[in-house]
Amino acid sequence: MVSRMGRRTNLAPYLFLLPAVVLMLVFVYIPVIESFRFSLFKWNSFSPEWTWVGLGNYRKLLPDPIFWQSIGNNIWYAIISVAIQVFLALMLAALLESHAVGRRLSTFFRTSLFLPAVLAITIVGVTWQMLYRPDTGLINQVLHVVGLDSWTRAWLGEERTAIFSVIAVSQWQSLGYLMVLLIVAIRAVPRELYEAARIDGAGIWRQFRDVTVPGVRETTLVLVIITVVGAFKVFDVVWVMTAGGPNHASEVLGTFLYRTAFRDDEMGYASAIATMLFFITFALAAVQLWAGRSGKDA
Amino acid sequence: MANVKPAASATWSLPRVRSHPEAASPLMRWSVIVLFGVFTVVSLYPMIWLLTNSFKTDFDLFEASWALPEVWHWENYRRAWDFGIARYLINSVLVTTVSVSLTVTVSLMAAYALSRFRFRGQTAFLFFILGGLMLAPEVSLLPLFRILQQLGIYNTYLAMILPYVAFGIPFVTFLMRSYIMGLPRELEEAAYIDGAGPLGVLRNVIVPLSRPIIASAALIEAMRVWNEFMFALTFISSEDLKTLPIGIMSFVSALQTEWTVVMAALVLSALPMIVLFLATQRQYIEGLTAGAIKG
Amino acid sequence: MSASIHSRRGILKLGLAAGVAAAAPVALGGRIAPAARAQEQVTLRFFHKWPEPEQIAFYQGVIDAFQAENPNIKVQMDAVGDEPYKDKIRILMASGDVPDIYFSWAGEFAWKFARAGRALDLTSAFNDTDWKDNVVNSATEPYMWDGKLFGIPMRINAKFMAYSKAKFDELGLSAPTTWDEFLAVCGAMKESGLTPISFGNQFPWASSHYVGDFNAKLVANDVRMADYRLEADADALFIDPNYVEALSRFKSLNDEGYFNNSPNGISHDQARTAFIAGRSGMIYLELEEFVNLAESPMGQDGFGFFQFPSGTGGAGDQKLITGAPDGFMISSATKYPEEAIAFLKYLTLPKNGKEYVKQLGIPSASVGAVTEENAIPQVVEGVNQIAAASGLALWLDTDMNTKVVEAYLPGFQALLTGSKDPQGVMDDVHNAAVEAQTDQSDQ
Repeated sequence: MVSRMGRRTNLAPYLFLLPAVVLMLVFVYIPVIESFRFSLFKWNSFSPEWTWVGLGNYRKLLPDPIFWQSIGNNIWYAIISVAIQVFLALMLAALLESHAVGRRLSTFFRTSLFLPAVLAITIVGVTWQMLYRPDTGLINQVLHVVGLDSWTRAWLGEERTAIFSVIAVSQWQSLGYLMVLLIVAIRAVPRELYEAARIDGAGIWRQFRDVTVPGVRETTLVLVIITVVGAFKVFDVVWVMTAGGPNHASEVLGTFLYRTAFRDDEMGYASAIATMLFFITFALAAVQLWAGRSGKDA
Repeated sequence: MANVKPAASATWSLPRVRSHPEAASPLMRWSVIVLFGVFTVVSLYPMIWLLTNSFKTDFDLFEASWALPEVWHWENYRRAWDFGIARYLINSVLVTTVSVSLTVTVSLMAAYALSRFRFRGQTAFLFFILGGLMLAPEVSLLPLFRILQQLGIYNTYLAMILPYVAFGIPFVTFLMRSYIMGLPRELEEAAYIDGAGPLGVLRNVIVPLSRPIIASAALIEAMRVWNEFMFALTFISSEDLKTLPIGIMSFVSALQTEWTVVMAALVLSALPMIVLFLATQRQYIEGLTAGAIKG
Repeated sequence: MSASIHSRRGILKLGLAAGVAAAAPVALGGRIAPAARAQEQVTLRFFHKWPEPEQIAFYQGVIDAFQAENPNIKVQMDAVGDEPYKDKIRILMASGDVPDIYFSWAGEFAWKFARAGRALDLTSAFNDTDWKDNVVNSATEPYMWDGKLFGIPMRINAKFMAYSKAKFDELGLSAPTTWDEFLAVCGAMKESGLTPISFGNQFPWASSHYVGDFNAKLVANDVRMADYRLEADADALFIDPNYVEALSRFKSLNDEGYFNNSPNGISHDQARTAFIAGRSGMIYLELEEFVNLAESPMGQDGFGFFQFPSGTGGAGDQKLITGAPDGFMISSATKYPEEAIAFLKYLTLPKNGKEYVKQLGIPSASVGAVTEENAIPQVVEGVNQIAAASGLALWLDTDMNTKVVEAYLPGFQALLTGSKDPQGVMDDVHNAAVEAQTDQSDQ
């Protein structure tokens, strides 16, 4: 049947693919290649001259402490996001789906947790900037009220806390969103598996471990990949909240790239950062896909 | 990866089909309530805080940010509105609508080709499109910037729309391909026998059957485009074309001496999405649940 | 090239003094744009860094009046804030989509455009016409590069230490004139439980104003200029020990607890709100912000100001004030140079300068714009002090190569958190300066 359709419409699939392929070629793939080419030159936005430097930008990038600072922050971003947005979200999803609370209440919780996800990142960033303010911000005031004055600090203004304060905001915004995706995945797990587990005397925890977790494995894998790659792509929330400061303490690759390009005006160097970012995200996704696949085969 | 389909196909489509046979123990029930109660407060309170403080004067924000406003300063909203939030909203709606429609159309066509035809280079095309999932938009920033200039569309709506569509295609195609592969083929066969061409089948069979996934994909894309920051920041320079996320930065810097007015502006910008979400949530759930049974 | 206006070219005074407004505004009636082009419809793009509604209202007013007089010219205005402007103008330069008329800070920030040939030479348009009679000439100095004029100042700005009169009276303090006296004032406030200085350094340009002032007064002027301009020998760039002393003095204000807690955690505007709310005794402010104090609950009579006595005993020039003109440049790529010049000329007319002062409370760089009729006494006095100063030390963060700035600014934040010491910051600055110098000579 399929082959008959295929014969009859020889050109059709290509025509259907054409717009997607052209758009992606022009706006996604050519830029990636161009980015590599750009990284081989020294150039800026003012001067028309490009100076060939070969791999010079990479030689400069590899020992650059800000580069490693940024990667370190991206790694923190990825670890914390996976732990909270995927694994904590999965547990919360399972709890809500365990029917421990009534339908109305569970809808209310789900909606409430989801709500931050519909806010634009700049709204979130500016709001949290105010919440983090050392003098009048809510966070320090809450700590003060509960008697934890020694914990109060300038959350975004101290090198030790800046990046984690930003990461926390991302968790606040996305936890509910991923939880909803996982709820749907849980509902797709055949009901009989749960019943069988219950008949075997499995409690909530064992049902979670033996039925839910394997049942949503594929979804979880995809969400982990998206979250990790997303953690390396992050730009907006950091730029809005700290712009990478203080003293580069919350710099991530995205802000480092943007700053290098449009503050320092070193386009070639910025392109080298972009190319490194490309390799990092590509490698991460590939490794995870491979790990997920081989895990399935085993 | 096929299992991803139900998840992604239903951001809000939570099929309510199950009854729950056994009641949870009261201890369990109350633990869950307390736990989610805490999460709910953490989720909602910042928004409530923003709302109540947006009615205060800067001085009260400083001195009493916990309290309800003593006098409700509606003029904050007046001033925020006068700054021209409407313009950013209109731009955002326009860019989002066009980008999402294009992304969905183009992706549906690609997904149809990839799931219902056999042709030379099929796997290569699949990888070509899905490969885009792994690319950080940052990588393309500088070259894209020059390409947009060369195309003469820098600082136009298209400078946002075309890259948004291109970067949206991989995920949407991925979702739709999985979904279409799960659809029964009988209706298509019947349509072919009736003499329909591939385009006719796509329009009259696939599209109606794919409504749920189209709705979900459109929502996911709409959220992404609505919030996109970096391209909009870099590829647009005119105030008249700015979308909401960038416009917010404009009024933050323009009204930085009046924090409570900024807060009013934030509330005004957040409101449309919140209202839209709350209002349509139920319909999406119903509509998508119906679709999910077929899927 | 000189960063402080007086160096090398001899001492120039900014003849801005309010009372000194002797030169009568030259009445410029009728058409300014050349008649030959009168038929052609022309759109000028105008881009600046003052998106505040009040500012936009002023500029729109001028634009409307200008368009009424020149029906064939349309001026399209865009503005982004101070911080985003630094990225946005570079993006526009890179895009080739350069606005016809654009804002630039004075000094290195402006010269960079001139060096790259992106700014129109305005020398003859300015000097050979009545334009030069309308704008305070000395304020154009930081827009000169290679003997040519590339920018026209719109307004003039400088940094002063503002204080709360109530707090000073309460503690029996008076305006200090030396560094030791200043420290004594801070000490007295701290002892009484009052935060001496409100300081918001979330965006570290705020500390660059402090350090710029310390540098100007502690480092010998020729040494400083050679370093800022990257003209010193590579080995010698930024190695003068007085730079370390400058950072040490700045750091000591923080270490002594004279700043509020965690300056890096709050913005300058938040700090100003704290000062207005009576949470501190002083704040280092720009002249243009005086109007914010006057219009706040603090009121016009609630605050006084003095020049920051940051460098007593130092090798620099103690009569410098940190500040700069702010002005506009015209793109060398503009299709309508004559119309752009006509608009800029119109914008800087004394009548518009007066209106600027009146509407915004900010000193204009047009001749005779600041008077006792249209400005508060503190602004008039500030302008007089600028005029009496030996010159301006330009904003550190716009008066150096961006690479050096990008080494300096995070260093300020690191000093305040204690993760770097002054010598460490200056080592970074030295290295960045060497690299920047190599880059410049490559070009």
